[in-house]
Amino acid sequence: MDLSRIRNIAIIAHIDHGKSTLADRMLELCGAVDPRDMRAQYLDSMDLERERGITIKLQSVRLDYRDHVVNLIDTPGHVDFGYEVSRSLAATEGVILLVDAAQGIQAQTLANCYLAIENDLEIVAALNKIDLPAADPERCCEEIERILGIPADQVLRISAKTGEGVPELLDAVIERIPAPKGDPDAPLQALIFDSHYDQFRGVVSSLRVMNGTLRTDAKLRFMQAAAVHPAEEVGCRLPTPTPFRSLGPGEVGYLIAGIKDVGEARSGETVTEASNPATEPLQGYQEPKPMVFCGLYPIDGDEYPRLRESLDKLRLNDSSFTFAPETSGALGFGFRCGFLGLLHMEIVRERLEREFDLSIIATAPSVAYRVTVRGGREVTVDNPSELPPMGEIEQIAEPYLQTTILAPSDYTGAILDLCQSKRGEMIKLEYLSPERIELGYKLPLAEVVIDFFDQLKSRTQGYASLDYEPAGYQPGNLVKVDILLAGDPVDAFSSVVHRDRSEEYGRAMTEKLRELIPRQQFDVPIQAALGGRVIARSTVKAYRKDVTAKLYGGDISRKKKLLEKQKQGKKRMKAIGRVEVPQEAFISALRLD
Amino acid sequence: MAMLYVHVPFCPTICPFCSFHVLRPRDDLVGAYLDELGRELGEVAERSAGAAIETVYLGGGTPSQLTDAELGRLLDDVRRALPVAPDAEVTLEVHPGHVDRSRARTWEALGITRVSVGVQSTSDDALRRLGRSHDARTALDALDDVRGTGVTLNADVISCVEGQDLAADLAAVVARGIDHCSVYTLTIEPDTPFARRGVRVDEEVERRAILTAAEVLGAAGFERYEVSNHARPGHRCRHNSGYWAGESWFGVGPSATGHEPGHVRRTNPGFEAWLDGGRGAPTVVADPEVERLFTGLRRIEGVELPDGRWDAEVDRLVADGLLERRGRTIRATAAGVLVLDSVAATFL
Repeated sequence: MDLSRIRNIAIIAHIDHGKSTLADRMLELCGAVDPRDMRAQYLDSMDLERERGITIKLQSVRLDYRDHVVNLIDTPGHVDFGYEVSRSLAATEGVILLVDAAQGIQAQTLANCYLAIENDLEIVAALNKIDLPAADPERCCEEIERILGIPADQVLRISAKTGEGVPELLDAVIERIPAPKGDPDAPLQALIFDSHYDQFRGVVSSLRVMNGTLRTDAKLRFMQAAAVHPAEEVGCRLPTPTPFRSLGPGEVGYLIAGIKDVGEARSGETVTEASNPATEPLQGYQEPKPMVFCGLYPIDGDEYPRLRESLDKLRLNDSSFTFAPETSGALGFGFRCGFLGLLHMEIVRERLEREFDLSIIATAPSVAYRVTVRGGREVTVDNPSELPPMGEIEQIAEPYLQTTILAPSDYTGAILDLCQSKRGEMIKLEYLSPERIELGYKLPLAEVVIDFFDQLKSRTQGYASLDYEPAGYQPGNLVKVDILLAGDPVDAFSSVVHRDRSEEYGRAMTEKLRELIPRQQFDVPIQAALGGRVIARSTVKAYRKDVTAKLYGGDISRKKKLLEKQKQGKKRMKAIGRVEVPQEAFISALRLD
Repeated sequence: MAMLYVHVPFCPTICPFCSFHVLRPRDDLVGAYLDELGRELGEVAERSAGAAIETVYLGGGTPSQLTDAELGRLLDDVRRALPVAPDAEVTLEVHPGHVDRSRARTWEALGITRVSVGVQSTSDDALRRLGRSHDARTALDALDDVRGTGVTLNADVISCVEGQDLAADLAAVVARGIDHCSVYTLTIEPDTPFARRGVRVDEEVERRAILTAAEVLGAAGFERYEVSNHARPGHRCRHNSGYWAGESWFGVGPSATGHEPGHVRRTNPGFEAWLDGGRGAPTVVADPEVERLFTGLRRIEGVELPDGRWDAEVDRLVADGLLERRGRTIRATAAGVLVLDSVAATFL
């Protein structure tokens, strides 16, 4: 294939700025999809992706446009999957920067755009949704010029919804984005930027050939995983997967190599030929690191083996979450799981319930603390209930995030308040224009995972956007607060909080649990304790009266059914000692507002 | 032994707290109703295999909405179809406004042995709130009229009505010489006018009402034998006691439920379908022991625990002070009666 006729691109955009809709239009324009088969968000294959309107798994598609091949690589639209964005950008020579003409530049636009600039990618900027009455293209162009240095007259104006301006955008891609370079005769180097598990074919990897030629039947070496697999099938998505005999430099396609675990073909992996290997892998490979942890427990203890099986299966498809068995006094046998972020955690939990029909309890999310105990030994604790006794602890350090927040300047006060209340440290405050502000804050990850994003959205009426990256560990004055139900500590409710906030936290938590735990046949005292000292308490009062007045012939089966139904509802609850605790108490108790 | 429940679907007015399937009476409907009832009694006769009927209960609806001639025909049909025992308890539910001395005597002559009067309250204010068409005077007169005959006399009272003095209501009906008193806390059923109006009953008020009923009636010589039922010695309702003891019964009428021998349950499909010959499909109760315990716990004297089941649950409820246990007999404590639904749900 003539390299000069190839363009490899990704679309980068803030969530909801219309990336998937633009991809749909491009597919139509290039005749890739029969109009009868067209559906919205064509490339988002999971139900969850369509429902939430986000891309979780990457897809690439090969389009024909004006005698050129355009490989469009989709990028995930959420900050949890930032590493995957960087991998997919590494497979391209340029990006379409898509900005909502009504909203302007948002935090993720900025973060992804900086990433593209760092990777020396050509940027074609386009304002989307110009058909909206609220669109303000002049202001947005000016913003793009001032903040990103892209001349306003180079910014295209399109409507992905109506298709207006999309042909011109594709023209600009062909004209402005450079063709890939690569040596077809060099040893093979191909970059995997996504892998997913197909129950019939095993692992299907998306990759970009950098040098050499990838041939069907070749014996391939996966350099970081140090494994050899035969290439069973090589091909391209048009978007229907279509086998090709080989892929040359600059080409993007898929590879099936009889692999059963996506962990062996992770994003960032370099594939070479076993008989004529490259000397060096491509740069940039990173093990995905979980940032947020929680316990997952089956509501019904008998489902434990099935939960393990389901986690195994899910991990075939998503190597970025981790799990290890753990035991909770309150919840029994379960798993400690690590995730890239909160959304990732919710997605895994939801997929377990939906695709594997499990009823599970997720405990409150936690971060990994670095605890220095007497004598200087350091241990990592990702489950607050496993914190050593306070007397043995010399220091607790917690992970921090460097966050970037963009918002209309009217909300500056509200955002500063929020960040202060979350123990944030301001690093940057810059006016992007008289109306828009960029804030940089260093924030403890633990504060962010609870409800920071929800709070930010609600305090700014949805106008603020957030992006973040890890920023190391810092020691803090942290303590463990235990929660006791009917006098017994419930390990699953233990939490690590800042000492100054512990009483406030204890009061909020006991009050929230009082609302969430249904009344029982007896009073249920709820206490929050620091060390052995009770710092807050509340009580779920017992039923005063719960008896049917009339129960005669025809009432019996009716009433029985009603009580059975209520009991079914209770099956969604976990009995902790004698107390029935609903599922949502474990996670929503921490969303204190 | 077996029992018979007859559903009479007619009412003079529709009460705002009632969730039952009832109709305003029309002559043509009553005739058709009695004809269909006759047919259904024939069907029951075939299934009942000659089992003696120990109790008959005419409920509704408001059975006294039927004329005495119609009631006579209905009872004749029952006796022709089924072997009703000579000493059977035959209960008639009546509206106070339908009662006078002469009707009461006729009912006795027709073989009615027990009359249940829907007094509800002796306060005109409370009755108005309940949307009842009778006043206090009428209710008390009705009790007097029935007492003059030899039948067992029950008064139904509703508690927890705003502005009601329950103790005064109970004292007033007791003073009329009743033998039996059923006291029901006002229950807001879904899809009733009360529910739509957002009427609510406070749990603490209900709790106090239940305690007050037991206290006032106990002091007057009544024995509480079920959550809401109180009787002078020898005057318990045999039919209702049968429900709670897990006896079998046949149900006839448009929305009647039966629980026939072999634990076969049938619930009729409602007036129009029933009139066309529609009947409830038989279903077998999956675990009759559960149901026996579920209803049996409503009896103050308690219920026998089946061997080898629920011992752990019972131990826990005993430890919580909600049940008492003597041998295999379990009964709800005073505290347990107040939360009996959640206690009973343990066994579901």
